[in-house]
Amino acid sequence: MKATLQSDVQPTNLTVRGAKRPSRLPIWHWLGVLPFFIFSALFLIGPTLVLAYRSLEDPDGGLSFVNYLQLTNPTVINAYSLSIRVSLTTAILGGLIGFLVAWAVSIGGLPRPFRSLTTTFSGVASNFAGVPLAAAFIFTLGRVGVVTALFELLGVDLYGTGFSLYSYTGLVLVYLYFQIPLMVLVILPALDGLKREWREAAENLGATPVQYWLHVALPVLIPSILGTMILLFGNAFGAHATAYALTGGLFNLATLLIGQQISGDVLHNPGLGFAVAMGMVIIMGVSITIYSILQRRSERWLR
Amino acid sequence: MTVSTAPVPVAANASGTTQTTTRRNRLWALVIYILTALYFLLPLAATFYWSLRAERGTLGFEAYRRLFEDANFLPSFSQSIVNAIIAIVISLVIIVPTAYWVTLRLPKLRPVVEFITLLPFVIPAVVLSLALIILYSRPPLLLTRTYESSRVLLVCVYAALSFPYMFRAVDNGLRAMDVRALTEAAQSLGAGWPTILFRVIFPNLRVALISGALLTFAIVIGELTIALFMAQRTLGPYMANLTRSKVYEPSAMAIVAFAITWAAMGIIQLIGRGQQGSIGGGH
Amino acid sequence: MAYLTLTNVSKQFGETYAVQDFNLDVEKGEFVSFLGPSGCGKTTTLRMVAGFETPTNGMITLDGSDITHKSPNQRNMGMIFQSYALFPNMTVAQNIGFGLRVRKMSKAAISERVQEMVSLVNLENHVGKYPYQLSGGQQQRVSLARALAIRPNVLLLDEPLSALDAKIRVSLRAQIREIQKKLGITAIFVTHDQEEALSISDRIVVMYEGNVEQVGTPFEIYNFPNTQFVANFVGSLNTAVAEVIDRENGLLSVDGVQFASAAKMDGYARGDRVRIAIRPERFSFASEVKKANVVDCQIENITFLGSVVRVHILIGNSKFTMDTFNYPSLALPKIGAADQVTCSREAVLILGHANGSAN
Repeated sequence: MKATLQSDVQPTNLTVRGAKRPSRLPIWHWLGVLPFFIFSALFLIGPTLVLAYRSLEDPDGGLSFVNYLQLTNPTVINAYSLSIRVSLTTAILGGLIGFLVAWAVSIGGLPRPFRSLTTTFSGVASNFAGVPLAAAFIFTLGRVGVVTALFELLGVDLYGTGFSLYSYTGLVLVYLYFQIPLMVLVILPALDGLKREWREAAENLGATPVQYWLHVALPVLIPSILGTMILLFGNAFGAHATAYALTGGLFNLATLLIGQQISGDVLHNPGLGFAVAMGMVIIMGVSITIYSILQRRSERWLR
Repeated sequence: MTVSTAPVPVAANASGTTQTTTRRNRLWALVIYILTALYFLLPLAATFYWSLRAERGTLGFEAYRRLFEDANFLPSFSQSIVNAIIAIVISLVIIVPTAYWVTLRLPKLRPVVEFITLLPFVIPAVVLSLALIILYSRPPLLLTRTYESSRVLLVCVYAALSFPYMFRAVDNGLRAMDVRALTEAAQSLGAGWPTILFRVIFPNLRVALISGALLTFAIVIGELTIALFMAQRTLGPYMANLTRSKVYEPSAMAIVAFAITWAAMGIIQLIGRGQQGSIGGGH
Repeated sequence: MAYLTLTNVSKQFGETYAVQDFNLDVEKGEFVSFLGPSGCGKTTTLRMVAGFETPTNGMITLDGSDITHKSPNQRNMGMIFQSYALFPNMTVAQNIGFGLRVRKMSKAAISERVQEMVSLVNLENHVGKYPYQLSGGQQQRVSLARALAIRPNVLLLDEPLSALDAKIRVSLRAQIREIQKKLGITAIFVTHDQEEALSISDRIVVMYEGNVEQVGTPFEIYNFPNTQFVANFVGSLNTAVAEVIDRENGLLSVDGVQFASAAKMDGYARGDRVRIAIRPERFSFASEVKKANVVDCQIENITFLGSVVRVHILIGNSKFTMDTFNYPSLALPKIGAADQVTCSREAVLILGHANGSAN
């Protein structure tokens, strides 16, 4: 009885990939990914490139950095500096608080339901940003907000103390509402990556919990934490909708400035406007790059 | 080489038993959680309370009634929903084949594709709005002249902005189902491409696709920045207007928006058990 | 007074007992293995010795003092984990020196001790490397050096070889044993691999479902198993149901085939059904040698395993396996043929009354 090795199945019209065949990529393979590239080019890359090009145009029609040199315009400087201040503060504060919350629902030992509740709510909170968030805070801490009224009942004139929701402090307070959840969501997998055996090995070798955190856990987590804080920075830096809804677009934030520029050339210099916009892109690009590098580093340890 | 085996004494500041440490940790964890929860719940509670006070002297749902009866609400809401659905469809049609091909046939393209999916984070919405206006307000690419053409542009941009989430969701889904092995098994059994796509790939991607779609939905539905600058009458600009013109309706609207987002995220969490929570944008 | 004692130690998780009434005296410098299948409680017991779990009942003493409730970082025991648990952010040298840094030793002293340990495990060329740059076997050796650096009272090893390749497993377990003997450190070794336990232990504690089945030297455990579980788990074993024919002369009948056993039959009466056990390697072909028992059998199958040839035979209606050494001029019988095998009286063990459950 001779065993037959031929299958009864009809060969398909596909190229069979075998180890011996040289790899060739038929043109039609690229068709699968073409729409993606066309779309991205039309609606993401293209516009940005055009913006970049226009930002390099000088009045005479040539290419130069003249627009960028004008970034020292006081309005621009103020806008950038406020944006950077807010972003930095919310990145650090949001990072710290987010880390603590993530720790609490993972290693900290809170029961399982806390964690899934936190993850769902974090997803909601980070999507809630924009007009609804701004509105919610206006109703809470605005001039006639519920908490403001509560303070009045206690005899404290909140706005009299100089506090205002429509200020740097207020902005930080509102931004934290989507910064903290972002930190929680991104850092949770990193905390999960901390192997229980590391803590046990450290304990076994005589270390106190503090020593374990100082010498093992934190060093291993630092790339993740730092990277995510930088992500948070970028996140706040590019935020527009929330600030717009909160302040009517009249605040001197970098994103709002660009918005004003779109609505009506407030800088009286379109080229400068483009440079301001590209400046944002550069800052965001740098922060995303640093984040990616740090992510890769932490993955190596926390895999 | 002689090696002595006399034990070395441990530092004197060692803590107590493991059980008290865990209990102490849990206490701190609870404190942190409660304090943070207060911060997150307070605005929601305040807004909800405010939304119930539209009728003088009593707590009721008057604000919600006014909101739903507002002449502009339903049109903007439905526009946003239609925009979202079309954007989702476009995104699915583009991303699924792309993710599939990159995983199976063109792995070298992966870094490029992943870089492109990072772009929406690098280009803030407001900058993109400016760039779109520059590019598309002049012939031959004149798309900003009429409301409808601007709307087409907006929907396409939304689809492009959903690429990161859609790609990540589909990519995870493909990885979870070991797409290469399944495809090869199907091929060896004689299946053609349509069969493979519709009978093998899509059914196993259902969860990933729904997650991606819901995420896109949540982002598009309340998006403000680009819609504003494209002069669109969608839910985002409507809500912004409401905040400036009315007193009680905005609070009802905020609660409704929260409820919708919670529903979307809740469904994602339910069907994608164990997968990481989803981060949105559009802020 | 034994160096490490566990007295009536049990651990309860909710309703279930992971470990029940565990009693053991370990002498200083002894190498004891906890052997058993997954879920038998061996790791839980080890973790109680380490301090990561607290016993529900019972007491653990070390060198006379009660350490039952002492926290792990005060027990001065070194632990080796299955997953190596090396700190990823530290080099080999830093990992090994960690316990010493915690004890606030001087830099010079740390450096000297680390060097000593590195030479002990033969990793001189790798001191500056990070864990992800090392192989599994190398990582485990670093783990060993790290645990030994603090001069622990007891060395605890939790299935340290399970994640490694077969060849490395064999060479590393020999290295571990050698180092342990050289340093004279008391060691507890948890494993589910009976070959590992048999080859390197001074004594073995066989565990099953939270209970201690038997404690003894490898020789005792293998040749004189006390319970059916031990007999089955350690080495391979043939079991069959037999009827007691003659108590004084030790005669039993397996499906009509007579066996003579040297085991004590005091607890059995004529006609009792008991379970007997014979190790495969105790059988031989009657054509080569004749021992006390010579029985007829039928050859069912022959499996060639390299150095061992495994013959599946049928005695009466019961299946047996016979292991015989392979050599080139071995004349194997044909499958299906009738033949005769032989074994000594001592080879026939009696495990107890045969109950309904099959094993």
